[in-house]
Amino acid sequence: MSGSNVWSRSRERLRRFPELLAQCADEAAVYGKCVAATTTGKQELKKDVCAKEFEALKTCFTNAAKKKTR
Amino acid sequence: MSCRGVQKLLQGAGSGPAGWTRTPCCCRLRYGPCRARSGPGSGSGPGSGSGSMNVFNREMKRRQKNWAAVLQDGHQYDYLREEVGSRVADRVYDVARSFPLVLDLGGGKSYIAEHLSKEVVQRLVLTDVSQQALKLGRRSDIPTRSVVADEEFLPFRENSFHLVVSSLSLHWINDLPRVLSEIHRVLKPDGVFIGAMAGGDTLYELRCSLQLAQSEREGGFSPHVSPYTAVTDLGNLLGRARFNMLTVDVDDVQVHYPGIMELMTDLQGMGESNCAWNRRSMLHRDTMLAAAAVYKEMYGNPDGSVPATFQILYMIGWKPHESQAKPARRGSATVSFRDLAKVSRPDGADQS
Repeated sequence: MSGSNVWSRSRERLRRFPELLAQCADEAAVYGKCVAATTTGKQELKKDVCAKEFEALKTCFTNAAKKKTR
Repeated sequence: MSCRGVQKLLQGAGSGPAGWTRTPCCCRLRYGPCRARSGPGSGSGPGSGSGSMNVFNREMKRRQKNWAAVLQDGHQYDYLREEVGSRVADRVYDVARSFPLVLDLGGGKSYIAEHLSKEVVQRLVLTDVSQQALKLGRRSDIPTRSVVADEEFLPFRENSFHLVVSSLSLHWINDLPRVLSEIHRVLKPDGVFIGAMAGGDTLYELRCSLQLAQSEREGGFSPHVSPYTAVTDLGNLLGRARFNMLTVDVDDVQVHYPGIMELMTDLQGMGESNCAWNRRSMLHRDTMLAAAAVYKEMYGNPDGSVPATFQILYMIGWKPHESQAKPARRGSATVSFRDLAKVSRPDGADQS
């Protein structure tokens, strides 16, 4: 399997992940703190417990990805 | 398959109930009942006999190792194996002997032999499941013969090796008690086995981050990191394989990465991708994003990097021989414990 195929293209896209995440460090930190808080606090970890924070992170991430696309 | 000349195997000696389980231990954080989708139970069920433990897809592991071996810049992923290989070689030097015939189990590109000299090791047999890794292996000045063989089916006669070494390949074995018995079988009496494998707490940060992120995003979690043997079980396993004079010690190697993606890329490049049957082949991109954020927040260093812990278990076991020290006979003591107090007071000030 050589040349450009769906796996090599998606790998290329995935390679941009760290730099895009670096631009959203604040939102990532907020989300991380929310999840970490569930491990020590009274609140149990269920689905979408931190949905709001994750939405903010995901929006920031997709915006960063859109900006960098040629 | 290829003509590897698999020898007729002796019936496994450990046919009793397996008292050893591999636990993919859930992270010890309080977060309530987890509805595991393809739960970790399948990896930890005790086998009822020697042959029924099947946790890892060995064929997949062979393909992963072959892929990793032919990578263009594969040498950049070798740091962990080199480090562990050099530590195993240190332990070989600690044994004040020279070994005419040595077996390197799962040696891959051979990370141990380059630290050893011809005085200590005269001839080396290198085995691995991956043919590409053996072909592209590093050269050392010890005459080496490479054999493509699965660790669970060693095509060697009993009592043939003076030393068996193994570095970072035993944690992908399905039936570890059987492999240890096989190693015991091919060793000469008074031969020694020196091994290193990834154990217990390896990659716990990665495991916990993925678990938390997946629970929050998808409502359940499935195991992404393969299960490891705990330190406490290792002594029992070696004892059951009838090794003598056991030594087990633990080393934590912590490597810092810029983030979770670099860590996972490096693991893939090392040929250490997961090959357990119960792994899910997909990691949702939301979960990936969430896991990256959680990892950095929970375990990140002040300078922005994240640590990954590799807990390496080193074990040394000897095949029994009459020349080895045995426990003293009951009643053969010549001094009493009561005299212990006199030892610590050399001036004889107080006779108790």
